[in-house]
Amino acid sequence: MEILYLILIDPFVQMVDEPSFLVEVLIGGLTSGVMYSLVALGFVLIFKASGIFNFAQGIFVLFAALNFVGLMDLGVHPILAFVITIGIMTALAFAVDRLVLRPLVNQDPIILFMATIGIAFFLEGFGETLWGGDVRPVRVGIPDAALFWELGFGEILVQSADLFAGVIAAFLVTVLALFFHFTPVGRALRAVADDHQAALSVGIPLNNIWVIVWAVAGFVALAAGIMWGAKLGVQFALSTIALKALPVLILGGFTSIPGAIVGGLIVGAGEKLFENFWGVPLLGGATEDWFAYIVAMIFLFFRPQGLFGEKIIERV
Amino acid sequence: MTRSGDILLSVKDISLRFGGVRALTDVSFDIHEGEIFAIIGPNGAGKSSMLNCINGFYHPQEGTITFKGEERRQMRPHEAAAQGISRTFQNIALFKGMTTLENVMTGRMLKMKASFVEQALYMLRGRQEEIAHREKVEEVIDFLEIQAIRKTPVGRLPYGLQKRVELARALAAEPELLLLDEPMAGMNVEEKEDMCRFVLSTNHELGTTIALIEHDMGVVMDLSDRVVVLDYGKKLAEGTPGEVRGNQDVIDAYLGVSHD
Amino acid sequence: MAGALPDVAQHDTFPKLLRYNAEHRSSLAAVREKDLGIWQTWTWADFCDAVRRLTAGMKALGLKRGEKIAIVGDNRPRLYFAMSAAQSLGAIPVPVYQDAVAEEMRFVLDHAEVAFIVAEDQEQVDKILSQKEHLPALRTVIYDDPRGMRDYNEPFLHAYDDVIGMGDEGAWDGEVDLGKGTDTAIILYTSGTTGTPKGVVLSYDNLVLCAKIGADFEKLRADEVVLAYLPMAWVGDNVLSYCQAHLVGFSFACPESPETVPHDLRELGPTYFFAPPRVFENLLTQVTIRMEDAAPLKQRLFRFFMNVANRAGAHILEGRKVGIADRLLYRLGEVFVYGPLKNVLGLSRLRVGYTAGEAIGPEIFRFFRSLGINLKQLYGQTEASVFVTIQANDDVRPESVGPPAPGVELRITEEGEVLYRSPGVFQEYYKNGEATAETKTSDGWVHTGDAGVIDGDGHLRIIDRAKDVGRLVDGTLFAPKYLENKLKFYPNIREAVTFGHERDFVTAMINIDMEAVGNWAERRNIPYSSYQELAARPEVLDIVEGNVSEFNAGLAADPQFAGSQIRRFVVLHKMLEADDGELTRTQKVRRRFIAERYAPAIEALYGGDDKIVLETPVTFEDGRSGTITGDLAIRDARVSEAGGERAAA
Repeated sequence: MEILYLILIDPFVQMVDEPSFLVEVLIGGLTSGVMYSLVALGFVLIFKASGIFNFAQGIFVLFAALNFVGLMDLGVHPILAFVITIGIMTALAFAVDRLVLRPLVNQDPIILFMATIGIAFFLEGFGETLWGGDVRPVRVGIPDAALFWELGFGEILVQSADLFAGVIAAFLVTVLALFFHFTPVGRALRAVADDHQAALSVGIPLNNIWVIVWAVAGFVALAAGIMWGAKLGVQFALSTIALKALPVLILGGFTSIPGAIVGGLIVGAGEKLFENFWGVPLLGGATEDWFAYIVAMIFLFFRPQGLFGEKIIERV
Repeated sequence: MTRSGDILLSVKDISLRFGGVRALTDVSFDIHEGEIFAIIGPNGAGKSSMLNCINGFYHPQEGTITFKGEERRQMRPHEAAAQGISRTFQNIALFKGMTTLENVMTGRMLKMKASFVEQALYMLRGRQEEIAHREKVEEVIDFLEIQAIRKTPVGRLPYGLQKRVELARALAAEPELLLLDEPMAGMNVEEKEDMCRFVLSTNHELGTTIALIEHDMGVVMDLSDRVVVLDYGKKLAEGTPGEVRGNQDVIDAYLGVSHD
Repeated sequence: MAGALPDVAQHDTFPKLLRYNAEHRSSLAAVREKDLGIWQTWTWADFCDAVRRLTAGMKALGLKRGEKIAIVGDNRPRLYFAMSAAQSLGAIPVPVYQDAVAEEMRFVLDHAEVAFIVAEDQEQVDKILSQKEHLPALRTVIYDDPRGMRDYNEPFLHAYDDVIGMGDEGAWDGEVDLGKGTDTAIILYTSGTTGTPKGVVLSYDNLVLCAKIGADFEKLRADEVVLAYLPMAWVGDNVLSYCQAHLVGFSFACPESPETVPHDLRELGPTYFFAPPRVFENLLTQVTIRMEDAAPLKQRLFRFFMNVANRAGAHILEGRKVGIADRLLYRLGEVFVYGPLKNVLGLSRLRVGYTAGEAIGPEIFRFFRSLGINLKQLYGQTEASVFVTIQANDDVRPESVGPPAPGVELRITEEGEVLYRSPGVFQEYYKNGEATAETKTSDGWVHTGDAGVIDGDGHLRIIDRAKDVGRLVDGTLFAPKYLENKLKFYPNIREAVTFGHERDFVTAMINIDMEAVGNWAERRNIPYSSYQELAARPEVLDIVEGNVSEFNAGLAADPQFAGSQIRRFVVLHKMLEADDGELTRTQKVRRRFIAERYAPAIEALYGGDDKIVLETPVTFEDGRSGTITGDLAIRDARVSEAGGERAAA
């Protein structure tokens, strides 16, 4: 009985007892959820447009962030560094298209997946060669102050950087959604995602579209990298954290942009809540590393297409 | 009796193999400007392969295809589209998640002059263009009488209407040569009649040259100015519907088929 | 915006009203049309200008005063211009139902001796050309849409665009001055449930006065928004769109195509709207289907607020007292349910909505009124220039059609037939003195052919066609239409035809509603690929049998109708269609025709068989015909004891 009480009742009693703690945990969870969302978004974009599961997306985040802080450490102005990094990511997209995708066109998806693993390891090594393996802090002028908010039930502590990250992410997602639905290129991207053969027949050059998609994914990776870097410093561990995007994708569906966003938020908030209200008191903590994967597995049993996904994926 | 003008597309000695399987062997014919040209033959005769060669999905190992006086052997589908070849598919290849309007808009993709980057940023020029293209698309929508389904996602439309939307998308590109892969397949009588009417008025009023594959002999004989008959990847006959109908080889080929 | 109406004594024809509008309301919108996806507007000045130019062209082509000119096509601004131009010249427009097949069209064109025809497009021109040799009086055909017309080189064919370039535009004023109120304004052919169509001759006085009666009664304004989507050949479209727009100065909009009407309705949001009951039935069916597919929470919300609307909606609409709680809940419902719903239906701005032509199901009628939509019934006829009775805004009842409209007298004959006399009473049936004499008495009373009663408050209640009311062998009253309408109130039943005159009991042939039943079947994974297949499923027959038995229980409570419960019925293997001659163009059943064509089925209904093989002819849309054969099961319905419900209570 005792154990049931601890699992089913006590956590909720705590939540009600200390609403300000609950809110803080939630905010913390949601802000890291936003990061997961951004990484997942990169996966979804590429998967939708080309049917490729890009294992390297996590490394993209790291690689983009590395370039960005590397340039800044060389004394480049943050805005200029940002622009140059976008250029690098676009060049990377071109290179991936020319050197990897085109030669492998019409191959099995598994081959392409293996190729992206190759890209991942190459970039990891290449990044280290270029910029070294140290943890680098990101200082882009994102204000990092602790804010105290007085709410009706008590005071809560909020990191301004977290808020900032949330706003940027929301902005980015909105821009992407508008881009996809209201511009000709967005329409072309959706067309390619929908039916390759038909897209070819109306004269959409698939390769150009792929370059654009990979570049956009690179851009999203950069945004995620900067924000994550600002929080934790740019370090190689970033690429493993980025793999949290996997359970997010399973939750949200591999082909759904809203799914990636909502999935990320759920995973972020869920793992923090679980850690603080169940994990620490019952299991001694450290549940954050595996909680998301368990949730994803449960999801696979009951709703394999994810919350927003269209049917089950056949390509990977 | 044909309204044919100059040769628009010339297919010469085309052979296509998939591994050891010969899909097409030494096929030659010409399509003239302004005509409706039908490619017929029993199942597996190589009709769709022929169409796929013309619009660049397949690359024949031998032979040449000359379009508008330009000879080419290898061409990508989007290049064929850029030169003025549009097509529809036997099994409908529409963007199911998009509305009718968006689908037809994709047909304008190649006519967009603003550079990809400009479009991506959707700057002033891109926006003006979008409006101009929308006008053209509305004309096509009017032409094919699909106003009522403008904002409907095509995945929700009945089969016959999906076929019409696919034709609309092909027409939006203002093609010089329109390839129709079994435009009447799977339709009921009424839908077939509608489609016939639209194919004819496309040819008459827009002056589009049309090459089509069709199983329904009645439709072929009514619609087309000239017919080429394929069997086992080889050309069996070519001529007006009347000539082809009387050809003994053709009759045999079809009788042979009707038993399986 | 209100502005006084023009003096109809001075402006007594539509061309004169048009001239008045071009001077006094020149910048107000007159006509709209959605073309290539965008709404185009003609102001009254534009309208007048277009008519001027077309009049000149028609005159140059030789159209003379008193000649007839047919107008064939969907509602298009240019066809309305043609109507106006013809009237300007003193010629008589004869609008023709645009979906009539060539032979049907021939009768009207020939009977009216039309000299000119204005046709919408190639489709209509083809029909006319196929009948040309039977139309000796026809001299000129003008077509609006040039598409597909390139290879037509008949000398009497002219493109609208060419015609407006001909002749002298200055002549218009003089021609208009020659017209007077007593002239014939239009001839409208009524489809009639039996026999050949009759041409109802209406004068300008008829139409202008009736238009004014309606406009005054409803206080119509120049900013009304109207969708002209019902056939131009139908008196309702003529009076409620063309005539009243001329008088009041509001604009009417032509839909993009017949299929886009629901979209156009939503975009425009009409304030003044007419639709036959069928349209409202369809709307309600759609709402019901959508709600059945909605999430449970949404469904519960919908049901809750519809209950509130049922209690309070109609009272609020008619300005009666309602409790404070219900008033608040209704407000809330407006935000969450009624408002969005009305918006989807395109009825959120509606001030005056009419339905007529047939009885509307009380539930359907109440549903729309409870949403705060001012839907009213009227009773009218072509012969009356529409209005006979209209319901007033504050006194609307589902079962009756309201008191006589201003200026209308009403009486009921011994046999129960409704007669009326009004300023709108038609001049004559064109070239049919016999029918005129049968219908219109020397002192101006018109036989409606409908059986009805006037209740204590002076409201008219229509029961049936006077001639269709019959008796069973035992003398029980048999009112087929009354029964059929009651049957059709079940969403699953699309059409019904009942038999019983001089029979022992009542039987019915039924068409199921493809949308409602189809949806029901899909949710239960019952496979079907066509109407015929669906209609033959035993599961479907079961639900129809349930409906009929329930219907019988309802009838049993009414002593007048307890004897006419339906004992046996059959669900037909095909829809009754106007193309097959089974319905009129206004979708009313042609009882006698059906009785003949389906004679074997009727015999089976009265015989002991429980199934019958039936072969019936069908006409496809392209005009070709064939036959369709079906294996039909005949079912017995449960019959309730007379007065059963009351006895139980």
